[in-house]
Amino acid sequence: MSTLIESATAITVLPHRAISRQLPNEPITRIQPPKFWEAINLAEIWAQREVFYFLMWRDLKVRYKQTVIGVAWVVLQPILITIVFAIFLGRLIKVPSDGMPYPIFAYASLLLWTFASNAILSSSYSLVLNAHIITRVYFSRLLIPAAAIGVRLLDFVIASGVLIGLMTYYRIPVTRAALCLPLFVLMIGALTLAIGLLGASLNVRYRDVGTIMPILLQAWMFVSPIVYSSAVVPARLRFLYSLNPLVGIIDGYRAALFNLPFDWPSIVMSALVIAPLLIVSMHVFIKMESTFADDV
Amino acid sequence: MRSIIEVEKIGKQYFLGRRETVQPTVREAVKSSLESAVEFWSRNAGHGHRAIWALRDVSFQVAPGEVVGIIGSNGAGKSTLLRILARITRPTTGAAQLFGRTGSLLGISTGFHPDLTGRENIYLNGAILGMKRREIARKFDEIVAFAQIDNFLDTPTKRYSSGMYLRLGFAIAAHLDPEILLLDEVLTMADVSFQQKCLERVRVAGAQGTTVLFVSHNFESVRSVCSRALRLEGGTITDDGPPEAVVSNYLLQLPERELISV
Repeated sequence: MSTLIESATAITVLPHRAISRQLPNEPITRIQPPKFWEAINLAEIWAQREVFYFLMWRDLKVRYKQTVIGVAWVVLQPILITIVFAIFLGRLIKVPSDGMPYPIFAYASLLLWTFASNAILSSSYSLVLNAHIITRVYFSRLLIPAAAIGVRLLDFVIASGVLIGLMTYYRIPVTRAALCLPLFVLMIGALTLAIGLLGASLNVRYRDVGTIMPILLQAWMFVSPIVYSSAVVPARLRFLYSLNPLVGIIDGYRAALFNLPFDWPSIVMSALVIAPLLIVSMHVFIKMESTFADDV
Repeated sequence: MRSIIEVEKIGKQYFLGRRETVQPTVREAVKSSLESAVEFWSRNAGHGHRAIWALRDVSFQVAPGEVVGIIGSNGAGKSTLLRILARITRPTTGAAQLFGRTGSLLGISTGFHPDLTGRENIYLNGAILGMKRREIARKFDEIVAFAQIDNFLDTPTKRYSSGMYLRLGFAIAAHLDPEILLLDEVLTMADVSFQQKCLERVRVAGAQGTTVLFVSHNFESVRSVCSRALRLEGGTITDDGPPEAVVSNYLLQLPERELISV
């Protein structure tokens, strides 16, 4: 009996709610079966942004607690890949690199590519890995793949430090063209979000999507001008080639960094592909969101 | 008096035996979408497999401040109902309106990450359950005191016993201070003293005007804290009234049902 009294006094006295207090006229939550076309509730997502920050913080914390290399891997990954390509495609085969020294040419685009491919993969696995949260609490599921991508974006920013170092080493001047850099980061962010959301929602229902993804990404890497210059593509195939949204982004990014001529048609083409892709992908995600807890 | 929870003809259908393999593959999906173009988007196609209704035509209203116990046999649909009200899953039919902020505790260790410490998990879990950082910081000491994990705050939660997990999960949910609280079988792994503590907390919340929906197999607890009880059987509400009466009816009917099922 005494323990009961002790614990009772230890409990905070809550502010008394007058039972006769007015209930809101509109329900705070409305629960309905899923419709064919669901709207995206941006207000709700904004209200839950703390969850987003926490999911990101959690992933970063766990990653750095467990690995010895930790932060260093974020930088090592693009560097190691660049070294491999620099030897084989830069030295031995001598792939054209827009007149730039091959290592920095490749490193710049590999930086973007490492972000995009890692972000798409972590986003695709994110819902399944967080199954225990999805089946217990409600918050907009969009935040989970978004947090996975956010973490990779942070990695990108850190690894960009090495890029600055390389620019100094090769004595490449930074010109006004560099003001366009944020545009390309924004574009690749949107593209990654679009594909990441599709991967995440499809992977919940069809688990082999997660296994197919790395293979598709590998193929996409070679179809994009990441380790070679897009100048190798013959003029008649140019249009078809530019349908790949990464072409406009990667070429534009390198143009901004190294003060090369911008290929505005392919940049516009990329934007025209990314925008509808993002809209469709968000709607597919929201549509499938209602069954995540049942499927995962 | 207006209700704080209104549930109208909620139904939830699940499909059984839909998949031969553990998870469908894209190949199978392509095959069946050749058979029916609608399949890819609509889960309700079912295409000939058995369907069960976990909930069917469930309607009820809850007034503000009521502490409602929900009882019934296993598989009656109690957890499904709470999951729908907590927005974890969507209903197949019907609708519900909630006129207050909802907090829920539907299972232990919600959102806990094993490698993070107790302190870190309080912030993480609190954020996931909808608390702002400042709120969590303010209530931090009370949460720790309630959960009795003062000495284990900086240990990774993978080292916690299941009882500690539960205490911490309940402590965080209890300090959310929502207008509606949904609790699903939170007493299963608690020892007697913590059970008393939880029940007392629920009683206090009810006295302060919080509306509570409380699923439990523990009839003692339902009788002691609830002002009303609902009984679910086979997905529908079969009884609704004072906890004493509903629980007695349930216990009285037990032997009959066992005979019928033989």
